Amino acid sequence: MKQLGSLLLAEIIKEHRHSFHSKMVYFSLLVWPVINFVTAYYSFAPFRMGADSPLARFISYEQLPLFLLTGYLGYIFYWCLVQSSWQMSFERQAGTMEMIFISPVNRLAFLYGRSLSSLIEGVWLFFCFVLLALFFVDGIQLSGWWAPPLAFLILLVSAIVWGGFLCVLFLFSRDSSFLYTVLDEPMLIFSGVRLPPMAFPVWAKVISFCFPLTYALQLIRELLMEGASLQTMLPSMGLLAAVLLVLVTATVVLLKQAEKHMKKTGNMVMY
Amino acid sequence: MLHVAKATFIRNTRVMIRAYPWSFVIGHIFSGVYTVLFAFFAYHYVFAGQLDENFAHLTGSSDYLSYAILGGAFYAFAVSTLMNVSRSLITELREGTLEAVLLTPSLRRGYFLGNVAQQLMRTLFEFSVIVLVGALFGLTLSHTNVWSAVLVWILSTGAFFCQALVLGSLMLWFRDTYITQNTLFAVMAFVSGVTFPIPYLPEWLQPLGLIMPLAPALDAFRQCVIQGAPLHAVSPQLFHMAALSLIYLVIGVWGIRRMEKRVMESIFG
Repeated sequence: MKQLGSLLLAEIIKEHRHSFHSKMVYFSLLVWPVINFVTAYYSFAPFRMGADSPLARFISYEQLPLFLLTGYLGYIFYWCLVQSSWQMSFERQAGTMEMIFISPVNRLAFLYGRSLSSLIEGVWLFFCFVLLALFFVDGIQLSGWWAPPLAFLILLVSAIVWGGFLCVLFLFSRDSSFLYTVLDEPMLIFSGVRLPPMAFPVWAKVISFCFPLTYALQLIRELLMEGASLQTMLPSMGLLAAVLLVLVTATVVLLKQAEKHMKKTGNMVMY
Repeated sequence: MLHVAKATFIRNTRVMIRAYPWSFVIGHIFSGVYTVLFAFFAYHYVFAGQLDENFAHLTGSSDYLSYAILGGAFYAFAVSTLMNVSRSLITELREGTLEAVLLTPSLRRGYFLGNVAQQLMRTLFEFSVIVLVGALFGLTLSHTNVWSAVLVWILSTGAFFCQALVLGSLMLWFRDTYITQNTLFAVMAFVSGVTFPIPYLPEWLQPLGLIMPLAPALDAFRQCVIQGAPLHAVSPQLFHMAALSLIYLVIGVWGIRRMEKRVMESIFG
């Protein structure tokens, strides 16, 4: 267990040093989410707003900024923790993938360590979000003092599991960064980051239920915007836990498959 | 010069097919398609087709779906052109071929022309796919003034190319592609009227759109496609674009030359 912990820590430190080689990275971390958030907010400008807007069927007009803010918080949190997974292809390009798989490192510790490496950014973002929401946005209705820490925990655990799952997918090919686009950007539309999933047609709802972020955002909005009690949230929590369990199982199975495939073909670095 | 352009075109196409066949093409197409989907969902399912009163006044049409879909497609086209051209030199640096490129007596104009021609093929494909998908989700093409639209598209390629030279110099200066390009793309999406008309922005932010070639290019293209405007009707936008292109070209050529010198001195000694 102690060894597992140190492996996890080593991977976190390695990835953090790799990604945060300059202060510019921190700049982008702060600036991009802000620009994306305001762009999303203004994207609603061409529509009819106000109390009698059709939007009110799903969210009240006053809560729109908070709806988008929670949506973007969840998305950026996921994005932070999963961006290290698409950089898996850099391990191939640098030739270090082979070294990792030759060493007796626990594979899961390696995967989840990569995913966890963005923890510091996640904490930083969450802190900024709470401050912003408290001072500038109306419509906050907390379930209790424990709501923000619980929301943080839900985001953290679900994002790490999702990041680990993506890491495994990227083990299969060198040219797999398009998978990132296929799996990452639909989250923006289907998971309820910018639009409420309740408004979607059935086929889009089916897609949205494939992303753990949909369940995580549902919980976070219940915690921070609706002031829901723990008891009323139990079904949603159970659903998220079930989805995460399926993802962890898939990660373990695919990881074994990927390693077997790479051992058989002997092309860990090239493809 | 044409020999160099042809050689660069063939080499880049081979690299694309052999080494990175899917990443960028699929990525850009999906980004455009997601914008289409967002516009469609928001318009039909969330807002039940109800628009702000000012929208038609600001855009000259109440066809929101065509407005947003063309915005998404044109933005993807701009990003693709900017990325492919501006990244060319830093990719050579990363792949270890920059020294060879700089040592050969080939004209840099030919090298960039080859790059532009190669990426034109890719962006045309990406743009067509996004427009086709857009047509399924409510983009109206029946009023299009085809020749004006094609000409605006070609002129826009030139404008984005000039902007890409400046971006490429900045990338070589910072020795980074990821942060530089994505910061520019995020700002472009915000201030250039991609998903909403620029006048909705606070007044102090609106001038930022004036320095992006995407804003006049997109405005002209939308007028040609949605309202069927002839070329002379969009001449103010075309002049705006030409002025910006000239400024970017001058800065870009100067910047690339300076950066080449700097790279030669700092990396190759």
